[in-house]
Amino acid sequence: MNQPARGLTYSRVSFRYPDSPGIALRDVDLEVEGGEILLVAGGSGSGKSTLLRAANGLVPHTSGGQFSGNVLAFGRSTRTHRPRELADVVGFVHQDPEAQFVVDHVERDLAFVLENLGHEPQAMRRRVEEVLDALGIAQLRERAPTSLSSGERQRCAIAGALAAAPAALVLDEPTSQLDPQGADDVLAAIGRLNADLGTTVLLAEHRLERAAPLADRAVIFEAGSIVASPGPPAAVLAGYAGAPPVTHLARLLGWEPLPLTVRDARRLAVEAGRANRSDRSDRSDGSNGLDGCKPPPPDAPGEAQGEAPGELLLDATGVHVELGGRTVLADVSVSARQGEVIALLGRNGAGKTTLLRVLGRLLTARAGSIEGPGTVAYVPQDPNTLLFAATVRAELEQTLHLLGRRDHGDVDHWLAALDLTHLAGRHPRSLAGGERQRVAVAAVAVGGADVLLLDEPTRGMDAPSRAGLERALRAHAEAGGAVVLATHDVELAARSAGRVVVLGDGDVVASGPARTVLAGSLFAPQVLRVLPPFLTVDEVARAQGVPAAPAGRVEP
Amino acid sequence: MTSRFHALAWLIWALAAAISLQLAPNPLYVAVVIGIATLVVQVHGSDGPFARAFPVLLTLGVVFMVIRVALTAATTHTGIGTELFTTPSFTLPQLLGGFTVGGPVEAEVLFQAAAEGFVVVGVMAVFGAFNAVVSHYELVQSTPRAFYELGLVVTVALAFVPSTIQAVVAVREADRARTGGRVVRRGRLIRQAIPVLESGMERAVNLAESMDARGFAYGGASPLDRVAGWAGFASLLALGGAFVALVGRASTVALALGAAGVGLLLVAVWAASAARHRSRYRPRHFTTADGAMAGIAMLAPIGIAALSAWGESTLTWAASPLHWPAFAALPVIALTALLAPMIRVPPVNAAEPPDTAGRRELVSDRGSAAK
Amino acid sequence: MSVDTAALLRRIPGGSDRPGGRRARPLAVYVLTTILGTAAFLYPFWIPGESLPSSAHAGDAPLVAALVGALVVAAISLEVRRGTMNGATVAILGVLSAFAGLGRLLDLPGNNAGMLFLVVLGGAAFGARFGLLLGMCTMAVSAFITGGIGPWLPFQMLALGWMGAGAGLLSRATARSDARAEVVALAGYAWVWGFLYGAIMNLWFWPFQRGGSLSWYPGLGFADTLHRYWSFYVATSLGWDAATALANALLVLILGIPILRSLRRFAHRLHPVVELVDIDET
Repeated sequence: MNQPARGLTYSRVSFRYPDSPGIALRDVDLEVEGGEILLVAGGSGSGKSTLLRAANGLVPHTSGGQFSGNVLAFGRSTRTHRPRELADVVGFVHQDPEAQFVVDHVERDLAFVLENLGHEPQAMRRRVEEVLDALGIAQLRERAPTSLSSGERQRCAIAGALAAAPAALVLDEPTSQLDPQGADDVLAAIGRLNADLGTTVLLAEHRLERAAPLADRAVIFEAGSIVASPGPPAAVLAGYAGAPPVTHLARLLGWEPLPLTVRDARRLAVEAGRANRSDRSDRSDGSNGLDGCKPPPPDAPGEAQGEAPGELLLDATGVHVELGGRTVLADVSVSARQGEVIALLGRNGAGKTTLLRVLGRLLTARAGSIEGPGTVAYVPQDPNTLLFAATVRAELEQTLHLLGRRDHGDVDHWLAALDLTHLAGRHPRSLAGGERQRVAVAAVAVGGADVLLLDEPTRGMDAPSRAGLERALRAHAEAGGAVVLATHDVELAARSAGRVVVLGDGDVVASGPARTVLAGSLFAPQVLRVLPPFLTVDEVARAQGVPAAPAGRVEP
Repeated sequence: MTSRFHALAWLIWALAAAISLQLAPNPLYVAVVIGIATLVVQVHGSDGPFARAFPVLLTLGVVFMVIRVALTAATTHTGIGTELFTTPSFTLPQLLGGFTVGGPVEAEVLFQAAAEGFVVVGVMAVFGAFNAVVSHYELVQSTPRAFYELGLVVTVALAFVPSTIQAVVAVREADRARTGGRVVRRGRLIRQAIPVLESGMERAVNLAESMDARGFAYGGASPLDRVAGWAGFASLLALGGAFVALVGRASTVALALGAAGVGLLLVAVWAASAARHRSRYRPRHFTTADGAMAGIAMLAPIGIAALSAWGESTLTWAASPLHWPAFAALPVIALTALLAPMIRVPPVNAAEPPDTAGRRELVSDRGSAAK
Repeated sequence: MSVDTAALLRRIPGGSDRPGGRRARPLAVYVLTTILGTAAFLYPFWIPGESLPSSAHAGDAPLVAALVGALVVAAISLEVRRGTMNGATVAILGVLSAFAGLGRLLDLPGNNAGMLFLVVLGGAAFGARFGLLLGMCTMAVSAFITGGIGPWLPFQMLALGWMGAGAGLLSRATARSDARAEVVALAGYAWVWGFLYGAIMNLWFWPFQRGGSLSWYPGLGFADTLHRYWSFYVATSLGWDAATALANALLVLILGIPILRSLRRFAHRLHPVVELVDIDET
């Protein structure tokens, strides 16, 4: 067997963590060629994190456990080499931007790996300068990581992994905790590194809109094994639930070759329109020439609402909030009625979280009033701040206990609504990220509030979790409640929300039905950019009379 | 946070001042040292979080002194002193000491106790100044490579402090959110302590992976490690022997063994440092300016010791017979050597160090709390 | 490098550089440092009068004791850092030290309790060696956070280190009993150490005051010294330490079970056990 010295090779790798009965990796064979970007897609708990950590020996040496097979990283076997002996060939970046800094100073933290490897001082200086330039963070060198934005922090973490000039970079969901701007910066940096330095990149991601176009090859992981062999990203990701919406759209409409970006999709849409027009006479119903396709009326509410909204649950008028001497919200008015799902969009720092906190009675406004008969509950961004009980069920029961309520099956109701019934006996902290967030939502929602305020609920969530959450929110709205979602995830807004409110620098910049507000704005979902006026793939499918595929299922 | 002098230079300065205090406990000289310390803090103190260390430690010392003075004055009655006033007295039960508290308060006792307590205030002031002016990162970085891992623990811990504070704030808010904005007091401690702890531990595990992936603990054991181990062991034996010799009143043997113990320990530290393959990135070198500052500062205790050997009598002061403390010029001149840090005075409108600017941004970012 | 097909099931205790049987010297070092450190703490009780030139120099004794304490700390540090100081140990120590160090700033009546109770629980969760390290590092971190680096620091580090180590030993002794019994035992232990810690630190400051019936000078007999110190302690810090001890015990009782459970979930990270299985056996 010829083992190439360039690249990462997994040969029949199986692994089991020390405490868990399940097998994390089953007989995995994978070859990452030198100089390529390989994208690993897969749901939470599918084993892709384990796969990535096996590349530099973190699995099994740091985690413990039972390991069989072999991983060769540029000729060095992880069976015999510890992670510290692979630090000069493989760099590793984690998804948490807060937990990768040893020193509270960017430049000194960068040098950590060089110090460990015992480089000469002169060589260290040179490497640090090179890496600062490669990542474009030279202006941040004196700063403390805790004072940076999370996108900047991740770039500094990448720099820290890159300082020893490793041949490969392994990144485990580096953008999942970042806002879109930060994510763009990080992925652009990764692309540049690969293009300029030829660094091999092994990248795992949930949200593939940005990452898929970057990759040379992609592979899908599920339950510890590869279910779709490595190949060109568009082909491999075609049936994957987390693929970009344009890919799903193209698959639905039979466009070839499958696009990964809006740009490619637009081109295909134009071609399809041209092809159709050449077959038929002018169509006057405004469709884009798609067969049998009737676009929904422009004012129709989104899918979240079947009927007209009900009574007013929450009415905030003229809210004015000042924090730290700055005006964060200036004269903001929002209302929520029964049956509504409202999406709150806006840049980082526009005031979305502050508005939710005010609505959730966690913050008092300087001026303005918040009235309404509906009870409110706020679900914080970070589920880790909530979870403390020993089991998922206990977590929900705690909330009821705190509110002095008795359990009338509310716990079971919410466990079922969020697909958590099979996890009810597990320790919340042993669950993967997406599941944890669902537990946090359940733990707050079980209190029976009418209006649920969710802050970035889908951050780092994989497609099945997202689908579960969307279903639960829709059900809650239909049952007479309301939901206000602050999110960067435009697709989530397009799929779930009936109304959209856009905040900009403390003011309400736009407010109205989802279709109107999202169209022509920076927040347009992918499908809307390609095939107006449709918002989502499901809408297109419905217009075609095709039953929409249940989200979260990977199809061959 | 960059300090104008190397951390070790500051440490030498602080030790020089502390030793001077011990050698010249006359309250007037102690006051001089405290004044010098205050001046150094004014000039060299940074805006960092440790700037408060000086007033805090100073206050602590004063409180300590007041308590001790009151206690001593209340319990010590020599019967030969000048009575100031008498307080009602009672005798403690034998179980708690059997001493008489209260009774005549004598001036000599009071002033003696105050003078001795004042020395402690001086030591506190000196080290408060040290904490306020030194760069703690450099202090950690200056520790011998032998103690690298422990220094790293301190570094990691300090890096974790801001995010811990943020986590506590976030957890408290999440707890209120759970109950619709109301605060439920019962069980609040568990509900808030556990998430902070768990999140911290998870972060620690992630950080550990990041550290391992970046080559931490590279390089295995070496024969020098073995040398270090045995030298350390031997040094402990020597020190133990020194203690035993002290009990047995053989002071020269004790001194010899003590010196041997210290020497062996230094050998152990040297061997352990040499055994590690780490290098240091842009270490702050001990420059001539630092050496000069440290050297000049050391002139103070040396000068005082010389004066004491020469028979200078004003260095110590005893309260009885009651008299004003004497004041001589020579010791004060020796003490002015502690003004050594003034050889490098910052310009009047010094630019803000970029770190502080970063921290200000963080504060205002957090203030907006919008994401 | 080809796959090692001849290898059978191999267990690699992660990260240890020390062969298994050489536990004798570290143990001897810990015992010695305990004795030496205790002797250094308790010097007022046994140092004979002639060893110090005059009563005036009795005030130097704390500084000398500080030096001895620093030496002991150095010796312990040299010994304890060898072997498994892997990234997980450093990171977990760092995080727990940060928590405990910040805990000292809590607004409790005896405000050290916020720090002490966490060191006890950390030692109980991860063992005596970790407890020793945790105590020392917590004190160092706390000194950095509160700006309290001074000659008193070595004593504080040693005292807290022993507290953590003792907690580890205690938890090993109660390993057979159920969780509640263990927590009660630890609470009692924490209560005692609330007083002990105050007594030790008070002892360091004691000889600074030379005059008076409650003060010390070399040459007193053991009983006399004890008598004086006891009165001094009662007068100055008994109340404060009682509050600390009580807060300690309460914190351990209330938070003990959930915190121990949370911490123990991470114990395997400190000593990862790696099994490399040969492919042919899968």
